[in-house]
Amino acid sequence: MARDWQPDFEKLVDDHQSMVFSLALRMTGDRGLAEEIAQDVFLELDRHLARIESPAHALNWLRRVAMNRSADALRRRKVRCMDLWVEIEEGHGAQAEQKPSAIGSRIESLLASLPEPQRAALILRYQEDLTPEEIAELLSAPLATVKSHLQRGLRLLRAKATSHLGEYIRGV
Amino acid sequence: MEFDHEGQNSMNDFEQELAEAFARRPAPPSLKRKIMALRSQQNTERIRNRTAILQRLAACLILCAALAGGVAWRNREEQRKGEEARQKVLTALRVTSHALDQVKTQLAAHDRDRQQ
Repeated sequence: MARDWQPDFEKLVDDHQSMVFSLALRMTGDRGLAEEIAQDVFLELDRHLARIESPAHALNWLRRVAMNRSADALRRRKVRCMDLWVEIEEGHGAQAEQKPSAIGSRIESLLASLPEPQRAALILRYQEDLTPEEIAELLSAPLATVKSHLQRGLRLLRAKATSHLGEYIRGV
Repeated sequence: MEFDHEGQNSMNDFEQELAEAFARRPAPPSLKRKIMALRSQQNTERIRNRTAILQRLAACLILCAALAGGVAWRNREEQRKGEEARQKVLTALRVTSHALDQVKTQLAAHDRDRQQ
């Protein structure tokens, strides 16, 4: 059966570079590493382009590979929470770019201190607006585990935010 | 119950804050350029590797063809030499047979002379 959709690599980069970069940045907390991961992810996409069947497939594929590559990079580098704090606070190389709001930046730095599975679930839930079912499918994890990571992560992040960012958070 | 409701509200507020704080960050402006450059470099390398593989394959094929040709030539040569040797032996046998026939005729003539 012939495919109607033909992947255009350059357009896929244009459309999804921000998503891939943001996932990698929030997972690793390191701009340089996030940029390397994003490059690797797109180069891998180029090698697998013939197997991509639709825009939705491309989006899901990119999300999954970006998350896997970020987790691999974290395991290799064993980046510590304090390092992530420093990276995000200093915002290396981000001078010319749009900076996140003060609260956004602080929440990101608090996020970096969460355990990796909770961080991954929260990023996919709130950055990508995925449902727990979609997250479970993307991470190849049981739904109950994902829900538990989301609840615990949210509770932990809220507790940290309450003690660190009380003045910013509404309703705290 | 009221506390739970309040807690739920503040959690919803917090989730709202999170969704706002977790907006996608723009990728560095150089990212796309780097990806496209690396892609082009990889494609060039891939083509170069493919060409090298094809060249090696062609060299192997030529070598195999030369070896096969050599073996075939050697077999033919051995066959030719064998045939030549066979012909020589046959000729020798024919000459010997002819000589024996002559001796036999002479002996028969000699026997006849003695009987007479």
